[in-house]
Amino acid sequence: MNTPPAPRGPDGATLSGLIVRIAERGDREAFTALFSHFAPRVKSYLLRLGAAPEAAEELAQETLLTVWRRAASFDPSRAAASTWIFTIARNLRIDLSRRDGRSPPVDDPSMMNDGPSRPDDALGAVEDEARILAAMARLPAEQAQVITLAFYADKPHSEIAGDLGLPLGTVKSRLRLAMARLRIALAEPPL
Amino acid sequence: MSASHHPAEALLVDYASGALRGGGRMVLSSHLMACPACRDSIARFEAVGGALLSALPPATLHKDALALALARIERPVPPAPATTGPIAGWITTPADVVRAARDRRRWAAPGVWVASVTRGPGRASTYLLGVAAGMTVPRHTHRGAEMVCVLKGAYVDDDVRHAPGDFAFNDDSVDHRPGITAEGDCVCLVFTEAPLVPRDWVGRLFQPLVGI
Ligand SMILES: [Zn+2]
Repeated sequence: MNTPPAPRGPDGATLSGLIVRIAERGDREAFTALFSHFAPRVKSYLLRLGAAPEAAEELAQETLLTVWRRAASFDPSRAAASTWIFTIARNLRIDLSRRDGRSPPVDDPSMMNDGPSRPDDALGAVEDEARILAAMARLPAEQAQVITLAFYADKPHSEIAGDLGLPLGTVKSRLRLAMARLRIALAEPPL
Repeated sequence: MSASHHPAEALLVDYASGALRGGGRMVLSSHLMACPACRDSIARFEAVGGALLSALPPATLHKDALALALARIERPVPPAPATTGPIAGWITTPADVVRAARDRRRWAAPGVWVASVTRGPGRASTYLLGVAAGMTVPRHTHRGAEMVCVLKGAYVDDDVRHAPGDFAFNDDSVDHRPGITAEGDCVCLVFTEAPLVPRDWVGRLFQPLVGI
């Protein structure tokens, strides 16, 4: 848990470039490469969160279909491809869990185009991913555990506290410390 | 205009991971739309989610998954649902909130209107609360968590002013009697895990009327 494997397959810049090619010219070859990389990982993520295999497969399909349709709204200087696709999968999952019908994730303020931008550093968002994974691997086990439960087990911090038998304040401070370390890692000079 | 009361970082993590759903997510969304600083934090937490997604071992797809995807991208794009513009004078909110304000507003007491946005899970309730200038919401406490985002106007709670975009999280340790400032009417989006517990007879009288 504490040492997630490094991402395999195409590097971040290549993956971002694939989305840009889809946006610019509806490039089906780029879509094929992107699908082959991300669809199995999105399915894997959904299975971790407890989705049934069929539902996970369908949501992975929906996620990549949304990538195709919304590619023009992707800004490679603000988010890594993996981050953008993560938010799409997350939003679809939330929409699916709503009882009162489904609606596309149009309301998500995190989709507003003003993430942490660094105009002088177009590759920043891409490099971030490697730094985050490296920083995750260096986190104390107790901090890595709460981050892992938050993102891989779909648990709000109140539930994490209940499951681990910890006071709420302890879980909140572990999350805060972990995020502070990740923030510092992101501010470090390039690897 | 930028907010001066923000959610705890753990709540932002819940938002980024997707664990925060329903009404609580709507209240936090409303704050995020008004708060670049918290949007920036969310973007970083989402980058953690993205990195963790990348690090997962790929699952096996159906053998015809790619062929199916390539066929689906050729299909026409379904029309986008009608967009609901923001309400003049309010900060931007999720579309569900705008619809509730337009379709489900009802007077609950003189100077007070409510509009139910969504109910559940369990006894949770999400509603808009509009209160006229100078009115005071009765003293009450909470059985569970309450999240509030000011959409318009301002209220003062324990001498602290909450203005548009400001976020508040109250739990059962809070026993308060917010007053609404006299600058004009105040509208809040409120999520409660359980009905409020009124603390005095005015509150008990008031609660059935408002239905919150
Ligand atoms: Zn904020």
